[in-house]
Amino acid sequence: MSERKKIFWLVKKEWLSLKRHPARLFSILVFPIIMILLFGYGMGGELTDLPVVIVSQSEGDLTDVTIDAIESNKIYKVVEITGDINHGKNLVDSGKVKGAIILPSDYDEQINEEKTVDFYLDSSDQMASQTLVPATQAIFQNISIGESSKISSFLTNGNMDNSQGFNIDSFKSMINLDIDKIYGDIKYIDFLVPAVLGMTIMMSCMMGMGASIAGERETGELARLFMTPTTVATVIGGKIAGKLSVEFIRALILLFAAIILFGASAKGGILPTIIVLMIGALCFVGFGIMVSSRASNQEDYSQMVMPFTFPMMFISGVFYPIETMPWIFQKIAYIFPLTYLNDAMRGIMLKGQTLGDVWLDLLILLGFTLLFFVIGVKKFDRDI
Amino acid sequence: MKYIIETEKLTKKYGDFTAVNSLTMKIPKNSIFGMLGPNGAGKTTTIKMLTCLAYPSSGTATVSRFDIQKNPNEVRETLGMVPQHVSLYKDLTVLENAELCADFYGVKEEDKLDRINELMDLVDITYAKDKRIGQLSGGQKQKASLVASLVHRPEILFLDEPTIGLDPTTKRILWELMEDLNSSGHTIILCSHDMHEVDRLCDNVAIINTGNLVAYDSPRGLKDILLNEEKQNYSNIKETLSNIQNNNEKLEFNYRRLSFLIENISDELINNLKSIDFVFDVNISKQGRVELQVDKFEDKAINNITSSIIKDGGIISSFSSEEPSLEDVFIKVTSEAEDDARA
Repeated sequence: MSERKKIFWLVKKEWLSLKRHPARLFSILVFPIIMILLFGYGMGGELTDLPVVIVSQSEGDLTDVTIDAIESNKIYKVVEITGDINHGKNLVDSGKVKGAIILPSDYDEQINEEKTVDFYLDSSDQMASQTLVPATQAIFQNISIGESSKISSFLTNGNMDNSQGFNIDSFKSMINLDIDKIYGDIKYIDFLVPAVLGMTIMMSCMMGMGASIAGERETGELARLFMTPTTVATVIGGKIAGKLSVEFIRALILLFAAIILFGASAKGGILPTIIVLMIGALCFVGFGIMVSSRASNQEDYSQMVMPFTFPMMFISGVFYPIETMPWIFQKIAYIFPLTYLNDAMRGIMLKGQTLGDVWLDLLILLGFTLLFFVIGVKKFDRDI
Repeated sequence: MKYIIETEKLTKKYGDFTAVNSLTMKIPKNSIFGMLGPNGAGKTTTIKMLTCLAYPSSGTATVSRFDIQKNPNEVRETLGMVPQHVSLYKDLTVLENAELCADFYGVKEEDKLDRINELMDLVDITYAKDKRIGQLSGGQKQKASLVASLVHRPEILFLDEPTIGLDPTTKRILWELMEDLNSSGHTIILCSHDMHEVDRLCDNVAIINTGNLVAYDSPRGLKDILLNEEKQNYSNIKETLSNIQNNNEKLEFNYRRLSFLIENISDELINNLKSIDFVFDVNISKQGRVELQVDKFEDKAINNITSSIIKDGGIISSFSSEEPSLEDVFIKVTSEAEDDARA
């Protein structure tokens, strides 16, 4: 009973502090949304309306279809269609457009012959290049498929007379590429949101424990608690309960912000998503306690925790799939708890998996948690 | 139980550094006990060990007969602590901090508010009970700290520099409070650099330097020891000089200042004062006070000087005399300890 009262006081103190610092409360509530906005729009948005120029040296149906296909694609913003190659290239060189798509003079001639379209590209803009190249490749691949079908159709009918012309509408419809996406149409933002949620919880838990334990050790509040007949476990338990109660609210805000702002979905359900986030929060709180058990002040704590937080942010697959990283980073990623939190979050939110499906990730997270707590409590220096 | 705290060869080491070295002392129950020492002398470490915030490297100590290592929780229940820097939660109010401490000490729910209210009245902080600690002045913070430290009715109250940075009025209020608490049965352990505070309040004083106990007595006892020691040294030096030079040199390092405010000062009065053999120097200050440097150990100095002034027609309006202070004792014993350490 008495220990429960003590833990209750530490949770109450956490919330009273927040309530009495509206700026801090505002930051706790709004910061997650800002994070989601920054990462969502800054890193997860699609590039559209990239300015290009079409240099058309040919005339005919195929040229028209090609120009129509490019113009109707939202990635491109065709600023000019010209017949002058040099003018088109000058526009790219001067930075006014990102690329010039140059249709050769023989583009509409000899339907069954190979043609080369030149794409004069400003490759200094990596992000634009990475979007424009595959999109342009896809357009011409589809046109090529359309041409082949057309030839085949003519051959089947035994009619090679070109005067019959293309059926442009049917040609256009063949431009669409049919891709079978087993988890639906997942964009980068969808990939990013679950991990950003996990990362935000990680940052907040680890930084928060610094203020809560190392900070109070420095200012003397912790010493006052330890001068009472109270165990280390009770004080740490109270700190954890206080922190988790705040993180629970933060996780809810984050999740709803992601759903409202980016249309993110938690296919596996809101409750399992929150449960996974809370297990992650517990793990990182444990990590914070382990580090703060030896830190004599908040500055020491920040210095001690920094070498873990930043590598974890970049190596644990928040922004890029782990598989695309160099092999050494891939190995390191698997010793970071954030990797397992991200995996479980993506499983629940994107794939619609259940807690049972991500049991291994959760088990590893709980294993880390146990390890951190055991070390934290054992190493916790009551000798203040 | 005559002594409430007893230490036996209590030692604390941090690596090769010995913060407290084999400290053996006894603190009488219901007394106000002063702990003096320069910065880094080991007094805070001693308090940390006695309040179970630091583990001794060796030696033993009992607080209210409980061993600090074997029964730390029982020891904690008997202690209250007012640290130098207020360690209450700044975002909580005076009342909330007191309630939190009461619950951490396991004060019964039905007694809690009564005790807190009683203490807040005692230290006169009830008017600010709903104010956050961060909004209080230095003196109010110390009062709030006292409430939080006394809520479980501890036998012993540790006060670490409780009046540092406070204005003289608040200082006096806290001193009176300490005396009241002591009268109501609390043993008070006071750590301070304010010699006047220790001199005024403490029944016994321990001076700790470089981790060692270098002096232990009542303030009066410590001053007498110093006075007698100096008297002896002075006599030896005086005798030696007398043998060598056959005259009474003015040994300025052993003078004492007397100050008189005199009406009807005349040249004759001043010259007669100068001619007294134990008077080393006579000056008239800007404020018109006659300042004299006299032999520190001349018992009849004040009597003879006063008679001389009156005989020459002077009227004494006020008089002050510099007495040996606890500060002199402190400087002497700590510098001796440092010399020993260097040797």
